[in-house]
Amino acid sequence: MLSHDNLEKFEQLKTQFPSMKSLTLPVLWMIQEQHGWISEDAMKYVADLLGLPLRHVYGVVTFYTMFNRKPVGKYHMQVCTNISCQLVGAEKISDHVCRRLNIKLGETTPDKKFTVIEVECLGSCGTAPMMQINDDYLEHLTIQKVDALIEELK
Amino acid sequence: MAKITIDEKQYDVDNKLTIIQAALEQGIQIPHFCWHPKLSVAGNCRMCLVEVEKLPKLVIACSTQVTDGMVIKTKSDKVINAQEAVMEFLLINHPLDCPICDEAGECKLQDYAYRYSVGVSRFEFDKVRKPKRVELGPNVMLDTERCIMCSRCVRFCDEIAKKPQLTFTQRCDHVELTTFPGEKLDNSYAMNTIDICPVGALTSRDFRFKARVWEMSSTDSVCVGCSRGCNTKLWVRNNEVLRLTPRFNPDVNEYWMCDYGRLETFKHVNAGTRIKAPLIRKDGKLTEVGWDEAIAKVAFELKAFKKHEIAAVGSAHATNEDNYLLAKLMSHLGVTRIDFMRHVVEGDEDDILLRADKTPNNTGAVEVGIGTQDNSGGFHSIINDIRQGTIRALYVIDDNVAADPSVAEALSKLDFLIVHASNEDATTNLADVILASSTYAEKHGTMTNFQGRVQRIRPAVATSEQDRSLDGFAMSRLDKFGAHNDRWAKGTRRDARPSWRILTGVAGALGARWKYASAEDVFTEISSTIDSFKGMSYLRIGSRGMMVARHTETVGKRA
Amino acid sequence: MTEFSEKLILPDIPNLHTIDVYEQHGGYGALRKALAMQPDAVTDEVKKSNLRGRGGACFPTGLKWTFMPKQSTKPKYICANGDESEPGTFKDRQIFEFNPHLFIEGSVIAAYAMGVKTVYVYVRGEYAKWIKVLQKAIDDAYAKRYIGQNILGTTFSTDVYIYRGAGAYICGEESALMNSLEGDRGYPRVKPPFPAQYGLWGCPTTINNIETLSNVPVIINHGWEWYSKIGAPKQPGTLLYGISGHVNKPGVYELPSGALLTDVIYKYAGGVPGNKKIKAVIPGGSSTMWLRGEEIEGVRMDADSLKAVGTSIGTGGVIVMDEDTDVLKVLARIAHFYHHESCGQCTPCREGCGWMEKILKRFVAGEGRIEDIDLLLDVANNIEGNTICALGDAAAWPVQSVIKKFREEFERRARKTPAPDVYVPPPHLVRLNG
Repeated sequence: MLSHDNLEKFEQLKTQFPSMKSLTLPVLWMIQEQHGWISEDAMKYVADLLGLPLRHVYGVVTFYTMFNRKPVGKYHMQVCTNISCQLVGAEKISDHVCRRLNIKLGETTPDKKFTVIEVECLGSCGTAPMMQINDDYLEHLTIQKVDALIEELK
Repeated sequence: MAKITIDEKQYDVDNKLTIIQAALEQGIQIPHFCWHPKLSVAGNCRMCLVEVEKLPKLVIACSTQVTDGMVIKTKSDKVINAQEAVMEFLLINHPLDCPICDEAGECKLQDYAYRYSVGVSRFEFDKVRKPKRVELGPNVMLDTERCIMCSRCVRFCDEIAKKPQLTFTQRCDHVELTTFPGEKLDNSYAMNTIDICPVGALTSRDFRFKARVWEMSSTDSVCVGCSRGCNTKLWVRNNEVLRLTPRFNPDVNEYWMCDYGRLETFKHVNAGTRIKAPLIRKDGKLTEVGWDEAIAKVAFELKAFKKHEIAAVGSAHATNEDNYLLAKLMSHLGVTRIDFMRHVVEGDEDDILLRADKTPNNTGAVEVGIGTQDNSGGFHSIINDIRQGTIRALYVIDDNVAADPSVAEALSKLDFLIVHASNEDATTNLADVILASSTYAEKHGTMTNFQGRVQRIRPAVATSEQDRSLDGFAMSRLDKFGAHNDRWAKGTRRDARPSWRILTGVAGALGARWKYASAEDVFTEISSTIDSFKGMSYLRIGSRGMMVARHTETVGKRA
Repeated sequence: MTEFSEKLILPDIPNLHTIDVYEQHGGYGALRKALAMQPDAVTDEVKKSNLRGRGGACFPTGLKWTFMPKQSTKPKYICANGDESEPGTFKDRQIFEFNPHLFIEGSVIAAYAMGVKTVYVYVRGEYAKWIKVLQKAIDDAYAKRYIGQNILGTTFSTDVYIYRGAGAYICGEESALMNSLEGDRGYPRVKPPFPAQYGLWGCPTTINNIETLSNVPVIINHGWEWYSKIGAPKQPGTLLYGISGHVNKPGVYELPSGALLTDVIYKYAGGVPGNKKIKAVIPGGSSTMWLRGEEIEGVRMDADSLKAVGTSIGTGGVIVMDEDTDVLKVLARIAHFYHHESCGQCTPCREGCGWMEKILKRFVAGEGRIEDIDLLLDVANNIEGNTICALGDAAAWPVQSVIKKFREEFERRARKTPAPDVYVPPPHLVRLNG
């Protein structure tokens, strides 16, 4: 399930920690980078790879919000609605994104291109409102900027 | 040692203890859900918050170590406030379905709601919904909404059963107890999670909805599933055993027992296959008779054989008292061929509780003079001699020796087969006389586990000759307050007797003058005649048992 | 207070994030200097400087370092806490982006002072971009032997590894961080034992904030005396004030500790858009107690000054709300956050945070009642101080302070007419299964 490169990375990571359990998060990240989400089969693979109980991996995956338990769209739009963003119009931004894509928060467009979710503070309060698309931060958002962005990504 | 003050009283305690342990040693209960004496400290329920002088915040008694001079308050306003707060929090998302919950009556949450809570809730919103009726494993059912996330079950599986099968998922008030999807909570000790669950989240699939706990009596007993002899409680309603639970004994089983012992060692007591009265084979057909007739028949037939034509098979399932009197009866008759059948399943054991020897009393049978520890020339040579026709009469107590088809075939060659049995089985099928014997749940007696620990069993189910109230049985609310017209006070009673009593009758018919009025009388004789039992009495054995004295030269020998 | 305008942590030097530029400006000089000192002398320098932690608790850093056992049969660890998830906080990210080598240098000096062979940098999962920047900086520092075996030709060796979080605010709590780094659910641990005795894998561990460690090279370079004279005497140095909300120029401003809150808002962040009045200010991230607009005059931004006015410096994340702000809506959003981020381990926080959110949402929906105000306060009080970690307190404080400071808002918003009676059927009429 891990690519050749990631397996090499895994071998290297093993030297950095005194316990295999520590590699749970790094390996789950590698899985998610490769597959976009973490399936039950993937959890079995990770448990097997690390020699850990299945329930351990399951408990970890469900604790951390960034691990996707189901496939997400090509563009995973994570709109911050926490206070600093809220004060400068995050609600309008998230409403607008949903309206433009015709989906609700937590949903994925039928073409599997976009998933929109609400997230907690992403540490971008000075450049609010903002959203994260996959790994990238998009800051100082306006309705116009959102429109242009969705147009570009469609 | 540390001098500490709890609620204005001073105590000298071991300074390695936590507050909750030190208090418990002094008989002071500090309320708690997640703490368990045999599990690691989780500190999550916050029910054991106490005030310690000079500390700014309340501390949890389960993880705070005592120090010399520590002044602890468990009943201050601050503490009471915190207890009420924790109870209110625990109950806001709890379904409050006590009327349909199995745990009601033995529920920590329910008890504490009376003792440490204000009795009303200020929570008016929809509760968080979570999965209900989850089949967590073959024996355990989960109601996730009732769970208070104390993690006792998770820690039990990790630390005691050594099978990490449970986890919490999600966060905040959405946390759920679960296994990995598709995995089951199926370790050999899974049902202990039901006992330690402080609420009704984990319930027994076997016992679910069978009874309210206050309707049952609970009687201290010992598990007969293997030679560990886990201490148990037998729970009885309407003269029927409904469940077993483990009973604390630090020297034997701590707080635990295995699922096999819990589920498979009591159903025969209630079963339809019970021998309800003595039976004699007349014209090839087993016919119910009275005790006098049955015993007279046994005595009459035994007299017809020479002593070398008779053999006896005791039982590792029977009590020390039963086996002792069988040995004594055979000695009275001059019969020397006596042994018992071993039930060892090689490999079916672990380093937790489970033993390969599937009988509760192997050691005891040897100690009281049935056979020898090394089984030399015993049971199998008896069976062989039956095949050869040199042994023609056999006296078997409380063991299904004919479960093995080759043994059954040999027994069919006997001229006369006497069997003490509680249930119909392959051996009773071949018997000429069946003397209806009590199960371990219906009699007093002692059993000796693999360590050599002598432990008591007590009657929980009444036979025809016993009376719950007159014979000192444990009583439930129903037993105490039930009138004769109440349906639930009329459970089935069988005309069965403990083997030691049947043997006493047979001995009397054969001219011996035994005066045992109770199992305790038999045991008193054992303790005065067999060295390894010296100094023991029912009183001294108590609830935790006593070790036999190990003198190799006297094991199995009369003093 | 003397005016100090130098930027120690985020100086305006182009490309300072590259190792060459960093070295050109004296980078890793402090490490060289520290390695020539006895480890204890380094700790002593930090102790005397009065540096206090920048993650929110303001604990004296040097003192914390002395808690680490000098002799230990077990390995010792440092965790650099870059989980930065407190709403309104976005300063450590600037260090990763603009001056990662300063942080790395500080970490290696700290490792030397405490005899640590491995430093883990725990960075929140969302900071993917900054993890890349930091990893590049670490790789470069390895290449130049500032990290790794025999650092700068001495006998001292230490490794620096990044650990990526995966979305859990609680992992900023030091013991939850350690559990997360051990590969587990981010549950805070019951204390004691404290990390210096029983930390990562049961070994002695010190957890320091990214900004805290970034101050260490400055102290070594300039000496404790110089450093301790900057800003507020009891919490000296510069702070990275992150300011957001209703200001014209939100962002991170590096100023001496003890700067006037009004200066931060008006002089640096350009005041409030439309020159509106300020209704409320959160001085140090979402968990700190609120100040009313009328209260901010003369308030200085350091631990002691803010304590004197009933709040705290926290992470220095200032959030400004103008006169048109619906404070209940903001508070409800904060309550939602703490509810969402409660790890669910201990009772008061797990159950109480959700309850507070529900009551607040009822207010926002116009369905709140007068009695709900005291109920809400009671719930907050019942959480505070009774939990395993400080998240419970962090959830309770804003609620307590907003009720205290804006009670009239609650009263104004409470429904005037009593709620309709809800019919509660007697138990025998309740149908199970629907």
